[in-house]
Amino acid sequence: MSAFRRLYNGETTLDYPRWWRRAVTISLVAMLVSVASFGVRGLNLGIDFEGGTSYEVRAPGASVADARAVMAAFDAADARIQTLGDDLFRIRSEVADPARAGEIRDALAADLGTVETFEQVGPTWGSEVTDKAARALLVFFVVVALYITVRLEWKMAVGALAAVAHDIVVSVGFYSVLQLEITPATVIAFLTIMGYSLYDTIVVYDKVRDVTGRLGATERYSYTELMNLALNRVTMRSINTSITSALPVVSLLLIGSVIMGAGALQEFGVALLLGIVVGSYSSLFLASSLVTLLKEREERWQAIAGKLRTRGHTEGPTRLIGREEAAQPDTRSPDRIDGSRGVARRRPVQTTHLGGAVPPRPRKKRR
Amino acid sequence: MPRRQLVFLIGIVLAALAATVMTAVWENEPLLGLDLQGGVSVRLTATEPATEEMLDQAVGIIRNRVDALGVAEPEVSRTADGVMVSLPGVDDQQRALDLVGTTAELRFRPVCDVFPVMTANQPGQGTAAPAPASCSQVLGGGVLPPTGRAGVTPPEHDHADQFVILGGRGGTQRYLLGPSVLTGDALSDANADLIDFQWQVAITLKSGADGIDAFNRIAALCFVGTRECPIMAGFSNGRVAIVLDGQVLTAPQIRASQFERDRILISGSFDKEEAHDVALGLRYGALPVELVAENTQVVSATIGEDSLDAGVVAGIIGLFLVALFIVGYYRLLGLVALASLAISGSLLWAIIAHLGTQSGLALTLAGVTGIIVAIGVSVDSNVIYFEHLKEDIRDGRTARSSVDRAFPVAFSTIVKADMASLIGAGLLWWLTVGAVRGFALYLGLATILDLVATYFFMGPMVRLLAQTRWFARHPGRFGLPAAGAVGAVVS
Repeated sequence: MSAFRRLYNGETTLDYPRWWRRAVTISLVAMLVSVASFGVRGLNLGIDFEGGTSYEVRAPGASVADARAVMAAFDAADARIQTLGDDLFRIRSEVADPARAGEIRDALAADLGTVETFEQVGPTWGSEVTDKAARALLVFFVVVALYITVRLEWKMAVGALAAVAHDIVVSVGFYSVLQLEITPATVIAFLTIMGYSLYDTIVVYDKVRDVTGRLGATERYSYTELMNLALNRVTMRSINTSITSALPVVSLLLIGSVIMGAGALQEFGVALLLGIVVGSYSSLFLASSLVTLLKEREERWQAIAGKLRTRGHTEGPTRLIGREEAAQPDTRSPDRIDGSRGVARRRPVQTTHLGGAVPPRPRKKRR
Repeated sequence: MPRRQLVFLIGIVLAALAATVMTAVWENEPLLGLDLQGGVSVRLTATEPATEEMLDQAVGIIRNRVDALGVAEPEVSRTADGVMVSLPGVDDQQRALDLVGTTAELRFRPVCDVFPVMTANQPGQGTAAPAPASCSQVLGGGVLPPTGRAGVTPPEHDHADQFVILGGRGGTQRYLLGPSVLTGDALSDANADLIDFQWQVAITLKSGADGIDAFNRIAALCFVGTRECPIMAGFSNGRVAIVLDGQVLTAPQIRASQFERDRILISGSFDKEEAHDVALGLRYGALPVELVAENTQVVSATIGEDSLDAGVVAGIIGLFLVALFIVGYYRLLGLVALASLAISGSLLWAIIAHLGTQSGLALTLAGVTGIIVAIGVSVDSNVIYFEHLKEDIRDGRTARSSVDRAFPVAFSTIVKADMASLIGAGLLWWLTVGAVRGFALYLGLATILDLVATYFFMGPMVRLLAQTRWFARHPGRFGLPAAGAVGAVVS
C-alpha cells in the first residue's frame, strides 16, 4: 500500500514513542533559544505598545506611497500612514529618538509637504491592557487546568499546559529571533495559537482516554503501546485539521503578502501558520509523551509493564496493536466507563473472531 | 430516523435563512474597525499643563467612555499636550465629539421631586425661566425646567446652575433636580465594596472648601429637609442625586448632617454590578484634567485599502481551497461539512452585523483572525466525526450503525475541546480590555455556533443520508471505506 493510501485508510503505523525523545530534545532546544533571544534581544514592539512620533503633513497631490518612500529612507517603511481629509497625511512611526525624529521631519518637509504637527505620542495599547491580559491568562491557565482535571485527569492537564506553554514560548521566540514587529494583531495571533493548541491537545487526549479505557482493561498492553495506538488513530484527524486551518492562512500569506504586497497581513499570518504547525506537533509529540511518562509510573501501568517484560516484550520498537485487537468492544462493566482507575473487577470477555466470518454485531447503545 | 432529528435539521436551516434575510432587511452591516475602515479622529488638548500620569489616566477614562461594551476598539493615545481619540466607523464628526464627551461632568444635585417616566414622546414643555431660588418655588409656581423628548431636559439646557429634569439609570424614574452643589472635582475616589453582606459604594472626597465642606453644607440642608432639599413622602431625609452625562447614577438619602471626607457610604439595593457601575461612573466621570476638542478629522484605514483587498481575495481563495480539500477527501460528507460551515457562517455574520449596528462592535483585523481560525475549528468538528465513522466501519461495523454510534462519541470530544475555547473566551472577555476583548467575543461566538451547527445540522444530516440505500451501497462516494474492511486488512 502506498503511504498515502495507508494514511487515507487510517492504517498509519508510526512509532511515535521512538520519536518522542528526539522531539522533546528539539523542543527544549527551541525553547532555550527562544528564552535566550527574549532575554538578550527582546521583542520588536510596534508603535501601539511603545509610542513613537507622529507627523501631520499637508501634501496636496501626494500619495500614501510617496509618504512611505520618504519614511523608507529612514528605515521606517513600516510607519502607519493615514490620510486625514483630502491632502493631510498622518504618519506615525515608532522612532522615539528626538534627533532621528527631527531628521525625519526635515525630510518630510523637504520631500512631501508642510509638516503641520510633529509630536511624541504615547502607546494606544497601554500597559493597562497588557496587565489585564496577563492576569486573565494566569486565571485562564488555572481554570483550564481544573477543567481538564475534571473532564480528563490531572496528568493530562499537566501535559496540555506544558504543550501550550511550549507553543507560546516558541512562537514568541520566533518573533524575537527574527525581530519581527509585534503589533496588536500579533498578540491576538498568539492568543489564537494558545486556544488552537489547547483545543488540539484535548481532542488527542480524548482519543487516548477512549483507547486506554477500552483496551487498558484487557491488561495486555502497556500505556505506551496504547498511547501509540491512540496517536495513530488520531493522526489523520490532526493532519486534516492542520491542513484546513492552515489553507486560509497560507493563502493570506502567499496572495496577500507576496503577490499583492500587503505587509500588514504578513505579520500575523506568520504567527498563525507557525502556531497551527507547532500546535499540532506539540499535541502529538509533547503532550502525549509527558502524559505517558507520568502514567507509566502509576502502579497499575507498572504492573502491566512488568507482566509484559516477563513475557519478553522488552526493548526495541513499540509493539503495534493490530486492528483486530483494537476493535474489541468495551468489555468493562458499565459503571467503569467514566472512572478508569484500578484493575478491572471483571475479567474481560473474550470475543472470538472466527476467521473470515462476519464480526459480532456491536452492542447497541441504549439511550 | 427519529422525527426529532428532522425537526432539528429543518429548524436550523430555517434559522440560518431567517438570520440572513433579517440581516439584509434591516440593512445590518458589520462595523469595520479603524484598521480596516478608518473613522473619525478627535484631538483633545489639555487646557492647563498636565503631567504624563494625568494624561494616561484621562486616556483610560476616555477609553471607558467611548467603549462602554469594550468591543468598539477605539484608538486612544496620549499626545504631547492632550489625548488623541480615533473612533471606528463614525463618519459624523459631531457624533464623535458627543461620544468622546469632553464636557461630561459629574454633578451632585439635590432632588426636589420624582416623576414617573413618560411613556410616549410627549412634546417638550416648560421654559427656560430665570433661575428660581428653591425647589418649593419651582414646584409651587409650576415653573418646570425646559424638557424635550421623553420629558427630560435636553443636553443643551442642562446647565449646572439651573433646575433640570433628568432620567435615572434603568429608566424607571425622572428626577426634578436643583442646581449643582458639587462637581466631580470634589471627588478623590469611589469604590464598590461588600459591607455587611450588601454592595455599597464608598466615596472619598477631597478636603477643603471645594470638597468635603461643600458636601457637608448640602448634607446639613438635606438631613433636616429644607426648601432647597425637601423630604419627599416616604423618605426620612432629603436626597442628593449624583448625575453623570445628564443621567442620574444614584440618588441616595442623606442620613447624617456631617460626614468625614473618607467615610461616605452609599448603600441601597445595589447588586454587585450596579455598585460597580456607580463607582465607575463616579471615578471616571471626572477627568483629571480638562480637555477641549481642538479638531476632528476623518481618518483613513490604518492598514490601507491595498491590504484590505488582498485580505479579501486571499480569504476567498483560502475558503475555496478548504472546500476543494474537504470535498476531495470526504466526497459527499465533505459537502455536508461545507453546508454546516455555511450555516454557522451565516449565523455568525448575522450576529456580527447586528452587534455592529446596534452596539458598536467593531470587526478588526484581530476579529478577522479569530474568524479565520474558527473556520479551521468548525471544519475540525466535521473531521472528528468523519474520522470516527471511518474508524468504526474499519473496526467491522456497518456504515449505518456506525453513524448512530460515532456521533455521540465524536460530539463529546468536540464539546470537551470547545469548552476549553469557551472558557478562554469567557475569561478574556471578563478580565481584559481593548483588542483582546474583541477577539474573545469572536472566538466565543464562533465556538458556540460551531457546536450549534454540529449538533443541529451536521449530525442529523449525516443520519438522514445514512437512511438512504445509496449510503450503504456506495460508501466510497461518502469518503468511507467499505463495511467489514477489517478482514481484508488483516489477511
